[in-house]
Amino acid sequence: MREWHDVAPVAQLDRDGRIIARIGGREIGVLRDSTDDSLKALRNRCPHVGSPLCRGSVRRRERGSAPGRYELEPGNVLRCPHHGWEFDLSTGVCLDDPAMRVAVYEVRVVDDRIHVLA
Amino acid sequence: MIDCDIHHVVADQDEFLSYLDPGQREWFKTRGDLGLPGYPWSHPFGFALEDGLHEPGYAPGALERIGREALDAYGAEIGILHANDASTVSLMASPYRAAAFARAHNDWVRDRWLDDEPRLRGSILCPAQDPLAAAREIRRAAEDDRFVEVLLCAGSERPYGEPRYLPIFEAAAECGLQVAIHTSGEGMGIAAPGGGVGPHTFYIEWHTVGSATSVMSHMVSLICNGLFERFPTLKVMLLEGGVAWLPGLLWRLDTNWRGLRAEVPWIERKPSEILRDHIRFSTQPLEHTDGNDELLFEMLDAAGGPDILCFASDYPHWDWDDPKHVLTRLPKDWRDRVMHDNAAAFYGERLGLARV
Repeated sequence: MREWHDVAPVAQLDRDGRIIARIGGREIGVLRDSTDDSLKALRNRCPHVGSPLCRGSVRRRERGSAPGRYELEPGNVLRCPHHGWEFDLSTGVCLDDPAMRVAVYEVRVVDDRIHVLA
Repeated sequence: MIDCDIHHVVADQDEFLSYLDPGQREWFKTRGDLGLPGYPWSHPFGFALEDGLHEPGYAPGALERIGREALDAYGAEIGILHANDASTVSLMASPYRAAAFARAHNDWVRDRWLDDEPRLRGSILCPAQDPLAAAREIRRAAEDDRFVEVLLCAGSERPYGEPRYLPIFEAAAECGLQVAIHTSGEGMGIAAPGGGVGPHTFYIEWHTVGSATSVMSHMVSLICNGLFERFPTLKVMLLEGGVAWLPGLLWRLDTNWRGLRAEVPWIERKPSEILRDHIRFSTQPLEHTDGNDELLFEMLDAAGGPDILCFASDYPHWDWDDPKHVLTRLPKDWRDRVMHDNAAAFYGERLGLARV
C-alpha cells in the first residue's frame, strides 16, 4: 500500500541540490527539474548495474538532427554518475536503452515540506 | 579481493612540485597539466565518476575517497595504484623532463600514498621514451618493495616488444617486478595515433577502438619478439583494453603462427600457450553484452579466461566496474581466481599479502 512520506524541507533540496531519502528499504532521490521548476522523485538505483543514479546530473540531453549538428532537447534528463546513461525524469525510461526503466514516484509540497508517494 | 586498477590523482600540485628536481620545477609549474601531453579529442563530460559532483569536497581519486569507496566498501585486501594522467609521462617530447617527472612521481607515491594507506601498492612510472633512463629509475624505485610493477602506458612510439625497450623489461625482471601496460595516451604527444588509421575524432572512438587496439598490438608484439623467451619469469598485465576480442585475436595469431613462424622461429609453441603463461588481463571494462554473458564467458573460457583475468575496478573513472556487479556476472568457479588468486600469483611475493 503506497502512502505519502514526508522526506525533507524544500529549503534542504534547494541547499543541497538533491534529497536522497530512505523509504521502506529503498533509496529515493528527489531532484528539481529546472525547466519547469517541478520536483521529480526516482529510485536511487540505476537499472544498469545498480549505481546511485540520483547522485548524477540533471541536464539537457544533446540531439543531432544531422551529422555534425549539436542541439539540445527541450527538457532535462538525469545522467547516471557511473557510465553516463540518461533517464527521463518523469517516466524513468532509460533514453539510451528503452528496455530499462527506473521507478518514479509522485512528489508534492505541503507547507514547504517535500512528500513522496511510495 | 585484489583490485588491480585504482587511479589516483595529483590533487595538490604544489606538494607534487616539491618532489621535482629544483632545476626543472619552474618549467613544470608553468605548463598546463604539469607538462603532460593531451589528447586531440576530449571526454564529453569528464573522466571521473560524478557521484558527489555537486557536493562540497568533490575529489575523485583522493586518498580518503579511495580508502572509503574503493577499499572499505568492498573489503579489498589490496589495491594497485596506477597514475591517472601521469602515466603518459613517457609521451612527453623531452626525455629529460620525463625522467624528472617519473622520479618525482615515484617518490611522491611512496610518501603520500603508500605510507598513508597500507592496503595500497604502487606502480613505477618510467620515461619509456629513454629506455636506459627508464631502467635506472625502475631499479631505484624498486628498492621500496611496496612497488609491485612497472607501469607503461599503451600509447607508445613503437610496440613494446621492440628490442629498444629491452632495458625496461630487463630491469623489471631483475627486480622481481611485473609489468603493467595500461591503455592511455594513444595519439598523445609523441605516441602513434590509436587505431592505426590516423587520429580519432571522438572519445567514443578511442574508448571503443584506440584503447583496445593498442593493447592488442603490444600483446602480439611482446609474444612475437620473444620477450618471454628472453625473460622466462616475466609477466605482463594488459589493462583496460577490454577482453571480449581476445579469443578471436588469439585464434588469428595461432593460425598465423602456423604459417608464418619462419619470421619468428624463436617462438616454439603456440602464441596462445605463451599468453597463458605470461599475460594477464584486467577485467574492466568488462563488455556489456546485452544479455549474452553466457556466450562471452564461453568464448573467454576458450582463451583461458578463468586463469588469465584479474579483477580491476578502474575506480574512480566514469565507467568503473563495481566489484559486486562483476561478481554476479562471473561464472561461479571463476570468482575466487578472477577476484583474487590470479592477481596474487601475478604479483607474487612483492604483493606482501603476508603483511596485510
